[in-house]
Amino acid sequence: MTDRSTLLSLSRRRLLLTASALAAVTLVATTGLSPVLAADTPKEGGDITFLIDSLGDTWIPNNSAISSFQGHIWGHVTDKLLYVDAEGKVSPWLAERWEQNDNATEFTLHLKSGVTFSDGEPLDAKAVVANLDIWYAGRKNEGINPIGLFPKTYDRAEAVDAATVKVFFKKPTLGFIPTLGYHGSILISPKSIAQPASAQADLSKTAGSGPYVVESWKEGDHVTLTKRKDYNWGPAAVGHTGPAFLDTITYKLVSEPSLRVASVQSGQADVAYNASPQELKSLKEEGFTVATPRYLGFVNGWAVNTKHAPYDDVKVRQALQAGINRQEIIDTVYTPDWKLATSFIQSNVPGATDQSALLAFDPAKAEKLLDEAGWVKGANGIRAKDGKELVLTIHSNPYLATSKSVDELIAQQLGKLGWKVVIRAYDVVTYGEKVKFGGAAVPTYEVTRSFIDAGTVAGILTNANNGENWFALDDRDAKINELRDSIAGAGSFDERSPLLNDLQKHVLDQGYFIPRTQIVQRIYVQSPTLKGETYNGVAYASYYTAFIAD
Amino acid sequence: MSNAYLTYAAKRLGQAVVVILLAYVFTFVVVSILPGDPITSVLRNPQNGFSEQEIGEIIAAQGLDQPVLVQLWHSLSGFLTGDLGVSMRSNRPVSTLIAEVIPSTLILASSGLAVALFLAFAVAYGTQVLPKRYGQGLLRAFPSLFQSTPNFVIGLFLIHLFGFQLRLFRVIEPDSFWATLFAAITIGIPFSAQIAEVLIANLDHEAKQEYASVARSRGIGQRRLFTRHLLKPASLPVVTVIALTVGELLGNSLITETVFGRTGLGSLVQRSVSTQDLPVLQAIVSLGAVVFVLVNLIADLLYPLLDPRVKMVVGKKYRSTAAGEPSLDPTKAVNP
Amino acid sequence: MTFVSNSSLPVSRWQEWRAALRMPTIVALSFAVIAIVIAWSLAPQLFTTYSPVVGVPADKLLGPSLSHWFGTDHLGRDLYTRVVYGTASSVSSALVAVVIGVLFGGLIGLLAGFLGGWVDILLARLVDVLLSIPKFLLAVIIVTAIGFETINAAIATGISAVAFFARVTRSEVIKTRQATFVEASFLSGGSRWYILSRHVVPNASRSVLPLAVLQFGESILVIASLAFLGYGDPPPSSDWGLLISIGKDYLKWPWLVYAPAFVTIVTVLSVNRISRWLRKTD
Repeated sequence: MTDRSTLLSLSRRRLLLTASALAAVTLVATTGLSPVLAADTPKEGGDITFLIDSLGDTWIPNNSAISSFQGHIWGHVTDKLLYVDAEGKVSPWLAERWEQNDNATEFTLHLKSGVTFSDGEPLDAKAVVANLDIWYAGRKNEGINPIGLFPKTYDRAEAVDAATVKVFFKKPTLGFIPTLGYHGSILISPKSIAQPASAQADLSKTAGSGPYVVESWKEGDHVTLTKRKDYNWGPAAVGHTGPAFLDTITYKLVSEPSLRVASVQSGQADVAYNASPQELKSLKEEGFTVATPRYLGFVNGWAVNTKHAPYDDVKVRQALQAGINRQEIIDTVYTPDWKLATSFIQSNVPGATDQSALLAFDPAKAEKLLDEAGWVKGANGIRAKDGKELVLTIHSNPYLATSKSVDELIAQQLGKLGWKVVIRAYDVVTYGEKVKFGGAAVPTYEVTRSFIDAGTVAGILTNANNGENWFALDDRDAKINELRDSIAGAGSFDERSPLLNDLQKHVLDQGYFIPRTQIVQRIYVQSPTLKGETYNGVAYASYYTAFIAD
Repeated sequence: MSNAYLTYAAKRLGQAVVVILLAYVFTFVVVSILPGDPITSVLRNPQNGFSEQEIGEIIAAQGLDQPVLVQLWHSLSGFLTGDLGVSMRSNRPVSTLIAEVIPSTLILASSGLAVALFLAFAVAYGTQVLPKRYGQGLLRAFPSLFQSTPNFVIGLFLIHLFGFQLRLFRVIEPDSFWATLFAAITIGIPFSAQIAEVLIANLDHEAKQEYASVARSRGIGQRRLFTRHLLKPASLPVVTVIALTVGELLGNSLITETVFGRTGLGSLVQRSVSTQDLPVLQAIVSLGAVVFVLVNLIADLLYPLLDPRVKMVVGKKYRSTAAGEPSLDPTKAVNP
Repeated sequence: MTFVSNSSLPVSRWQEWRAALRMPTIVALSFAVIAIVIAWSLAPQLFTTYSPVVGVPADKLLGPSLSHWFGTDHLGRDLYTRVVYGTASSVSSALVAVVIGVLFGGLIGLLAGFLGGWVDILLARLVDVLLSIPKFLLAVIIVTAIGFETINAAIATGISAVAFFARVTRSEVIKTRQATFVEASFLSGGSRWYILSRHVVPNASRSVLPLAVLQFGESILVIASLAFLGYGDPPPSSDWGLLISIGKDYLKWPWLVYAPAFVTIVTVLSVNRISRWLRKTD
């Protein structure tokens, strides 16, 4: 009996879906996006194994959505209201259209109809309201955290009708729309949301509306996803809206990078995540697909604590800026897939400008600056001033596997200039306790962070409006505060772009931010027969559109 | 069973319970020394973008800012009523987590023990049967070589050779037969060293006994002597060695499971340690203590059955697990 | 003929000398290995011309050769040099572990065995708790609590060995205390302190020494295992376990694992042989 009823409902759903698929196809045609599948004809079926170094901690959706590991699974199991591509372009997904009032305090979202969660619940306005509420507030006493990046100015959301949601903010919140396409904003069935934390922590008890559902999982071992045959609401931007092609995707935990790669090489698996950069060159030569998508965000680099002597001296900071041979980092630790930093934000971010001149390796200039600042080389090759040695303590970023190698190389480079570099490496827990922006014992904080919109950057760097005050400047630099205010008040991109350019120039020239390289936080080594995957704005691979070619 | 024996058994059981509880408290105290916990560390992930104030609010909402003693009381009273609590890292019940991984570790530990016993008896057999000049000296060096090789090196070597060069097993399927066998070899080799040492020492001892020379003078072959006469008395102390060191299998599974990518108690410890997941660590340590106490209890009961020479001295420990008799010390047994 | 007599003379002298020490070749070899290891840790700069920290990035991941005996690592550093420079930390941390184990374990065993009564019962429970937790698990938990550094790994390893030494010392102390010569000394009016320092401690330490040597070898392994799991010093330090741990990320260049592993095994094996020899000649 139950079997038959699901069959019936399936076919009814199918009808609806065909209609929306047609609409989607016309949308793709008109926007002129070239679908990934145009090159190859996708083949139905097939199973892939994706080797990953960790499967994160808890599976409570709110707490795990931004995890660099679990994000892969959420990306297949859940959908979002909007889609953000690798260039930061926002396009419709489950929200077909949206409007906002003039001062950006009220937004109206119009939802695609006929979308369901895998537990059968409809993805309607009520479900979206439940999601918005839990993103904003979480259930703190139960251990369900709010989504950190969700606008704190959120007031409430209302379901106007089944397909229309109205969202109210206490203050103007331009960032709301891009937030909906961000990795924290995954839509979960209201039934799952209502579950207590311990049930939410069981991945198999959480239902999303994505192209795949969780078939089985074992903590610290694997997650197997199986295709949802009635899925028909993919993002138009990827050029495919129907059910996925691959039958199953298995995310398997293999903690050794060399084992992950070797397994793909020997054909035992299809994708290896976070391969060691050293191996990429030979892998490419062997014919494997190597993807190093960049996310939208800050480059990998240091935010300098300007209160920490001697980095309160602009000349020392500038010497640091000129004393790092960034090309050598790429040549030694990385491969040409990594790009030289041209600013403190990744060059693919809309609004990033080329400041390479400020980042050139110039040891002579660095030595001269240090001499001028009064740091004299001693007999042991280390510079000193007033009996104190020129020391730089760096804390390796535990979130980036290559961080230690880069630190060691930079220590060698700065050592030649007379710097004494001390490397501290902590585990994630200790790091979180001890290393903070502008911390008393932290001269430089290593940054790897994605963001949604370059306009928010200035706010993070300074201390106003809950900003993070990265350089511990407080209000000591009038210029950066002035730039922050005018960027926030800018009404258009044309007005904002030159201001953003000034900000980048100022921050780099003052040596507030010392870029290392543009960051590739996610490295994928893929079997040559697997094709058609897409990468979004946070560099997650989606195999929704992928297939196995013969 | 006599009354005195029951009193003795009750006393032993009471001691065991005290030891387990103390192990639980000990873990709590040790792990609580350091500030930081999995919840705060997740919140502090810079990708989250939480301010310190928000972090403080979330921590307070979950009662993590309570005094340590209050937290210890909560956790201990839960433990006493059989509630192991909820993992701070994964938000899932600790009992579920442990139940999920225990089969894998049991398979690894028992096959590792089998490998260790096989290796130990094979080496010991060789030392008695092979001619003195050839092979024997080499064989006698095996236990110390086994004891000197870090087991992660053995594991990496086996994976490298059999997993990648000979492709005997798929490295990403650590629960397959071959992968399990090689993991068992990895964990079994260092373990076999201890058993082999005791075994060889005892075989040498037995071989010098009068009954052995009598048997030899009657023209019995070295092989028959080994299997018929020497083996049984010499293997008795092995029971003691296993009882005292079986807990180490759990400790060593940490490394072996990490190297082979198995999901078991060891890898659960590894994950819990890296996030300071106190409830899980406490549960696993107490589990280790329970296993240790139980195995030693069983060994105590088995020993008199296996060796009729041991008279049961009722009311007094005939074999102590705590501070004790040198004969129980596996390293001392080499030179009895 | 002259050739034979000439050569046989030093050999027989050598044998005499060896016989005097009653030291088999393998033990002599072990002492030689330990001598090299000690020399490496005291004056690493005498054994290599490369820097353990600064490499030539262009020469990364070279195979073993005459100029690089163990090859080079991912940053172009000479691996042999890194092994040599990592010796001091590997050896001294194992030493720290042994000292902690012997000192604390010895003290507990001494007090328990000598004083007896409730002190014995109390300490026995403490030892029971330590003993009931698998040693490696105990070390991992302690190192988590006090922080991921090599010295902390050494402390953790030492603590995990306390119970073992406490047990051995206690039983030795009890044996000695019951010995007739001690009782005689007691009867003839010797003070407790005198008996303890004159008879009990020397007797107990005689049997603890070979075990301490054995523990030294085991500590090297345990600390290496902790480093392998990532509970060691940050770069650019080059403890042996750390080197193996880094090497496992580069399995395509297997010497990065096997070279430091070989040094570790040979060292521990030598220590093992020496401990065995000490026990036999005891």
